[in-house]
Amino acid sequence: MSLWRQLTYGLRSLARRSKRNQDVADEVEQYFEEATAAWVARGLSAEEARRAARLEGGNMSVVRERARSYGWENAIEAFCGDLRFAGRQLLKHPAFTLTATFTLALGIGANTAIFTAVQSILLAPLPYQSPDRLTVLNTHFADIGRTSPRVTGPDAADVRGQMTDLEAVSLYSGGQLGVELHDHAVYTMLTFVDADFWRVFNLQPVAGRLFTDADAHRAALVSEQFARDNFGGAQAAVGQILRVENEPIEIAGVLPAAFDFPARTQVWEARPLLPESKSRTAFNYKAVGRLRPGVSFQTAQTELDAVSRRLQIAYPAENRNKQILAVPLQKALTGNARPTLLLLWATVGFILLIACVNVTHLQLVRSMERQREIAIRKALGSSLLQVMQPVILESLLVSLLGAVAGVMLAYPAIRLLVAMAPKELPRSSEIHLNGWVLAFTLGLGVLTALVSSMLPALRAAKVDPAEALKHDASRGMTRRGAARLRDGLVISEVAATFVLAVGAGLLLHTMMTLASRDMGYQTRRLLVVDADAPAHTEQDAHRAVEQFNRVFAQLAAVPGVERVAGIMGLPTGDYGSNGYYQTKGGLPVPPGHNPSSVFSVASPGYFQTLGIPIQRGRDFNAQDTYESPFTAVISESLARQSFGTIDPLGKQIQCGLDSDKWMTVVGVVGDVRQDSPADAPGPALYMPMAQHPFYANQIHVVLRTSVKPLTLMNGVKEKIAQVNPFIALRFTTMDEMMNESMAVERFRAVLISSFAGVGLLLAMLGVYGTMAYSVAQQTFEIGIRIAFGAEKGVILRTVLQHAAKLACCGIAAGLVLSLIFARMVASMLVGVRPMDPVSLGLASSLLLLTALAAALAPGWKAMRIEPMAALRAE
Amino acid sequence: MTDPNTDVIQGTLDMLILKTVSLEPMHGFGIARRVEQISRGVFKMNPGSLLTALQRLERAGWLDAEWRQTENSRRAKFYTLTRAGKKQLENETADWTRRASAIARLLKAEA
Repeated sequence: MSLWRQLTYGLRSLARRSKRNQDVADEVEQYFEEATAAWVARGLSAEEARRAARLEGGNMSVVRERARSYGWENAIEAFCGDLRFAGRQLLKHPAFTLTATFTLALGIGANTAIFTAVQSILLAPLPYQSPDRLTVLNTHFADIGRTSPRVTGPDAADVRGQMTDLEAVSLYSGGQLGVELHDHAVYTMLTFVDADFWRVFNLQPVAGRLFTDADAHRAALVSEQFARDNFGGAQAAVGQILRVENEPIEIAGVLPAAFDFPARTQVWEARPLLPESKSRTAFNYKAVGRLRPGVSFQTAQTELDAVSRRLQIAYPAENRNKQILAVPLQKALTGNARPTLLLLWATVGFILLIACVNVTHLQLVRSMERQREIAIRKALGSSLLQVMQPVILESLLVSLLGAVAGVMLAYPAIRLLVAMAPKELPRSSEIHLNGWVLAFTLGLGVLTALVSSMLPALRAAKVDPAEALKHDASRGMTRRGAARLRDGLVISEVAATFVLAVGAGLLLHTMMTLASRDMGYQTRRLLVVDADAPAHTEQDAHRAVEQFNRVFAQLAAVPGVERVAGIMGLPTGDYGSNGYYQTKGGLPVPPGHNPSSVFSVASPGYFQTLGIPIQRGRDFNAQDTYESPFTAVISESLARQSFGTIDPLGKQIQCGLDSDKWMTVVGVVGDVRQDSPADAPGPALYMPMAQHPFYANQIHVVLRTSVKPLTLMNGVKEKIAQVNPFIALRFTTMDEMMNESMAVERFRAVLISSFAGVGLLLAMLGVYGTMAYSVAQQTFEIGIRIAFGAEKGVILRTVLQHAAKLACCGIAAGLVLSLIFARMVASMLVGVRPMDPVSLGLASSLLLLTALAAALAPGWKAMRIEPMAALRAE
Repeated sequence: MTDPNTDVIQGTLDMLILKTVSLEPMHGFGIARRVEQISRGVFKMNPGSLLTALQRLERAGWLDAEWRQTENSRRAKFYTLTRAGKKQLENETADWTRRASAIARLLKAEA
């Protein structure tokens, strides 16, 4: 109660300051009037009475001040007064204020932006119900120490049946597929899920109902977005029929727009709870589960280990080395992004450090100018705190200004970041500024204030009035300690920037290596059409192949198209397969070391279209039909791996793609880098589309064009629609796909380089500041030297030498730091060693040049000092 | 030759004010005069301490304040005891009595 009164009374008197002052003054005046009146009543004259009252009660204004100073709000008032004073001081030194604010804004802005990403991706809970209980099942292979994010159907079904710690387990699979609507087909992210999926995520539809196990292959749920785009609304979508892989599917319900697990799924089609794949070696599924309330991941894993052991005993052949792991969903989703984000975070940390050093330096220069003032204040009896307070307050004010400007910088930076983010970056749509981030920024602001004002404040506290008053900076009499301190700051700044520059150099070098790599095929002017022809039965599949053959023929006639072919397993593409193979007549295989390869299914003319050289034998042709003997083309690496010096042509090869028929090798082609430029060229096994129709309905149609590829888009779309309007299409170019395959590397390289640029700018500012200050301080000394006939070149050289010395010390320190930090990026480098001499050399010379450039202006100024003016100045 | 000490005993200022105001609503000087009169000049209140204490008691919720006319038609801030103030006065009085009698006993004690 009384606390409440304290608060309201205080606030009221704060809000109406003058009224409160008036009240106090009135009360005091009335008191003295009454006291005087009382003395008059006792017979004194008016004059005597007034004196008596004063004698008794003391000075009226002292009483007034005392009464007025009661209350907590006065402490705030006093603080505001000091703050106002600090503000005025800053206004009086606009150059200092602007430089410091800008510097901090850069540092804090970069940190805010990156922290926003870190918070939204790594720290914020997933937007699902009780997300900390969601888990993903992985399969760990103890013999090779590898973990796959997938599970086999029977294993997952056993886990579901035997685990009591898991409330629900759902299996899912799928990907980008063509979904047929009433008159056309659209490429859609489609996931096949079982009825437990809803239990895992605890979902309720916004319209319609959830499906049950009885709806398998018959019902689907769609996202609100999909319903709006294709049917005009959630209610309108319910009951509509889609066709997926030529099966009619009814839309049972619509899910809220916010839900899009996994990987931005728009359509969830029902599959039976009992997995359709019965193989314990085919990792066809991913699995999510929900832990029972109160069960920890550790407990669940213990139970899961018991299940794994039972399976190992029951199925020794397939499950011998398998262990099933429960990984938190958040970790599974964001684990890959973690190193990149942490790297970025460390980088912006460096930037902030450099910014702080700069501001410390600026503060230091300012407080040295103020030494006489501080000394006088100390001599007059100011306490330690009173001397330090203005320095800290100023710093706080600058930091807060910097934080505000930083948030304003961060806002566009975040949007840029999201726009640039590779699609591998999870949860990028969830990245946004929020309360946590603002709190972080505020904390950062206060922290930078404390860090950057620590040294100057301590120095202010240490000022010895007698000593300081004797010194006179403008007469060239500075203390060595001060200069050493400033030099130290510059060195640490250069060292930090050096680390950033090396990091940027390494990542850029990686990018350049990747971009200039020979992919094994020509990427220019290649239009890529993702085409998904609906197929469910064997007849469907054969018809799809036949339709695609007609499509190729039609497209070859389009003006601007030089060559056209179809491929399942395009380099850097979405589809593809790989696995073990065996040969007859090849090199002997040591037991347990089956050779593996990429499997691709291609149409005749594919190698020519892509520009992959046929080194021996022949391409596929029209005679390679489903009825004729099976044929295959192998890559150079595969030939080397399995045939060595033996001639592979005519030898037999077999793989588990879709049939176990033996295939005759009819040709050898050049190697390609399959997934991205970072990939090594490896073994590849090509099979004709006509002989593998089940892998030939979802393909990339590739067109080598003589014009800009995308200009042909509409014509190509029309031609394909003429053959079959229900083939879902998506267009891109090979250059674009290459770009995308390097998106993560580019994202990193661009960000780190920009940060290194910012760091360089700040370091330049730091060096400039130091040199300019020391030249200004030595004006008198330099003036004398010039007066005594020193060469102007020598003066310039002294300044430059000083800067170079600082830079070299910084670079040396930076080299040591780089040794430590290069390990952090080692896994992100391709074709570049962490201690890449080119990057190190470039970074060193860049920093040295920057330091010299920054010292040039002060050096120039030193050269132009007029001795007479310098000596007369004061 | 020194003046006799007229300071209010430490820790009793609040109690004296509350007691005085409990007789009738009063302004600052009224309180000071009344304390001086009743104590026959033993205690004199310093206006600085008194006015600060009045603010404190008002914020604590023990006194209410109101600007009113005095008998010689001057605007003055009059203080009234609140219900909580009455309670506080009772507590402080009881406490003081207990301690004062203890001191009296101690001083009267003989070897």
